[in-house]
Amino acid sequence: MRNEPQGIGSFRSPSSHRYQPASPLADADLQTLRRRIRALSTTDTANPEATVALGDDAIDGALPDRGLTLGAVHEFLPASRDDFAATLGFGFGLLVRLLRSRPGPVLWAAPSREIFRNGAAYPLGLAAFGFDPGRLHYLTVEEAKDVLWSMEEALASGALAGAIGILPAKDKSYDFTASRRLSLRAASSGVTAFLIRHHTSADKPTAAVTRWSIAARQSAPVWRHGLPMPGLGPPRWRANLVRCKRGQPRSWLVEWNHETFSFRMASPLAHRMPAAAGTAITQSADQRRMAS
Amino acid sequence: MTASKHGLRISATTEAAEQAGLRLDMPLADARAIYPSLTVETADPENDAAALHRLALWCRRYSPWTTVHAPDGIAIEITGCAHLFGGEIKLLSDLEGRLRAFGLTARLAVAPTIGGAWAAARHAVDSPCVVTSSELRKFLARLPVASLRLDEALIDDLSMVGMKQIHDLLGKPRAPLAARFGPQLLQLLDRALGNEDETFHPLTPASSYYAERRFAEPIFTMTAIERAIARLAQDLADRLVEAGKGARRVELDLFRVDGWVERLTVRTGTLCREADHLSRLFRERLDRIGSEFDAGFGFDVIILSAFDIETFVAAQDVLQADVARTADPRTLARLMDRLINRFGARSVTRFAPQASHIPERAVQPTPLTEKQRNSDWTMHLRSLPDGVQLDRPLLLLSPPEPVTALSEVPDGPPIRFVWNQVAHRVARADGPERISPEWWLHPAGENRRTRDYYRVEDETGRRFWLFRSGLYERDDAEPHWFIHGVFA
Repeated sequence: MRNEPQGIGSFRSPSSHRYQPASPLADADLQTLRRRIRALSTTDTANPEATVALGDDAIDGALPDRGLTLGAVHEFLPASRDDFAATLGFGFGLLVRLLRSRPGPVLWAAPSREIFRNGAAYPLGLAAFGFDPGRLHYLTVEEAKDVLWSMEEALASGALAGAIGILPAKDKSYDFTASRRLSLRAASSGVTAFLIRHHTSADKPTAAVTRWSIAARQSAPVWRHGLPMPGLGPPRWRANLVRCKRGQPRSWLVEWNHETFSFRMASPLAHRMPAAAGTAITQSADQRRMAS
Repeated sequence: MTASKHGLRISATTEAAEQAGLRLDMPLADARAIYPSLTVETADPENDAAALHRLALWCRRYSPWTTVHAPDGIAIEITGCAHLFGGEIKLLSDLEGRLRAFGLTARLAVAPTIGGAWAAARHAVDSPCVVTSSELRKFLARLPVASLRLDEALIDDLSMVGMKQIHDLLGKPRAPLAARFGPQLLQLLDRALGNEDETFHPLTPASSYYAERRFAEPIFTMTAIERAIARLAQDLADRLVEAGKGARRVELDLFRVDGWVERLTVRTGTLCREADHLSRLFRERLDRIGSEFDAGFGFDVIILSAFDIETFVAAQDVLQADVARTADPRTLARLMDRLINRFGARSVTRFAPQASHIPERAVQPTPLTEKQRNSDWTMHLRSLPDGVQLDRPLLLLSPPEPVTALSEVPDGPPIRFVWNQVAHRVARADGPERISPEWWLHPAGENRRTRDYYRVEDETGRRFWLFRSGLYERDDAEPHWFIHGVFA
């Protein structure tokens, strides 16, 4: 087991003990067996090793194949109603990292009601993530099933680098079958799909490779002389890896680095100024929340 | 019946009414005297015209060159089409049978000129009647001058000098006729006789690239229709490939047995001549129409025609063969065609930068179906002040939503604000970034308040873009707070 960075809550479900080698099979045998099974299920992923690294060793090390699987479906859920933008930001950061290695446009599909409620994607803000807004094809539809239809077609055509779909509340059209359809198409074309689901959606199993739950956290304060209030540090999120195929649920406190366009661990030790105390309090509150 | 300056008059009759002795243009009072229990309806010329137009569309099943001769006629250019129905006589009897099935009485005629057919349909003794080019002159000679599509006044003038039949005009010297009755008379006479060409203006532009299918038994199941479309698309694509052309617009006409025409149009972003892409676009369109699609008693003719034809550059085909699937620009174009086909012309947008520092004007969304502006974002971002995009939100609310905010000092950041009935206590703030109105664009004074933007983060880490509209010292009205966006 890896050493956790200090002050970060580790999230591990009791069921994960199942994976301890209690069987007479040696660890090496198990690895071989897994590789053979993976080789047999060719329909699942064309190239299971193709991943994109998040840019932080601790996170990448916990993910199978050291990164986010390409040509697959990934789900992102806001932890609460107000965390939609945070969730979108985290997902978009991942997408931007993926786009660096893959040319081509991006499809962004959203129902018009969600756009009305949450606001529309703002290209200049997307550019802040290191994304070229010229690559964006922004699709406005009416219903969730239209989002899924367009995602399916986009994944099947293979003309894109990636696709983002936003699903509304009380959506029943996205179920295991729908996710399986998306996954198969993503696997055959190598296009990666990001689904931003609603925070109220049920925690049912789907064919998605990972499912993340994202919550905004207070950023590191930037103190400046003569100002009544500290400035904003880089955006900070509590990223819970809720489900992960061939991996285990984990939780990290991450920051987005807008200079290297990568994720990094939010380290409370980096701030030794008076603010450090405030940050530490947030941290422990965070841990309490995780523990409950 | 219609109202005229001479009172109410009969404008249309049924066969039974005519047998009772009623005539067109007869005063209603006279008609009532002849037949007291007469049923009278007010004439509805607008709906009549609409119905005639619809019927003309349906007549395109015989030839794409079809037009309306208002107020009561339809002209079909059947040159080169008649043999498909086994000759002109057979075509006429087919048409007559179908019209009778709709409950319409029609007078039908075939003639070598537009004017000739117009005259024959309205004034010939028998219907249907076929006039060949050799007997056209003789045939027209026996008809009244009214068959020349003349004005009422001109007909009256001619009858005053005893010219009642076209025969009376034929032998006469042309110069005095033109001098007395104007050039219109001779022009129409020449056109009817075929001495002068007349342009045919079809109702819908006809394409030289089309494919059609006729069915002995009308088809109405979706599977049969889709299969027919697939075969038509193949025929059309073959024709386009053979001619070295591609189309940007393809129209599908489904002719229903009961005289209705269903017309579907698909547009493609790039030149298209691929059968499977076309048939897929139409299939998805039909699928989208779903239950609203009314096959009625079935379709017996289906025509697929290509428009906006351009020469296809053959190099594109060769390129496609050896480049990987992701690199093919046409795969993307096909995908976008299908999205637009399904969700509407304005559903897919791209963003172009625009030289403006007002946030909502700095980006120009353009539907994919419209001409794309310059979208070189790299150059644009380089031209912006350093890092300005870092101060721009991921999601922009349009229009900005008003919030109630409280700030410690008049020119400082808010310390609390309420948005959507949720109170946020601000813990971090950056700003202000002052954005002044574009006074050169809004001279009227509307929208001319300076905005001071703040990036704020509340105690739970959610980030918002707030602005104060107006300045404390300068403006008369109290400044207002708005939320304009949300950061990740």
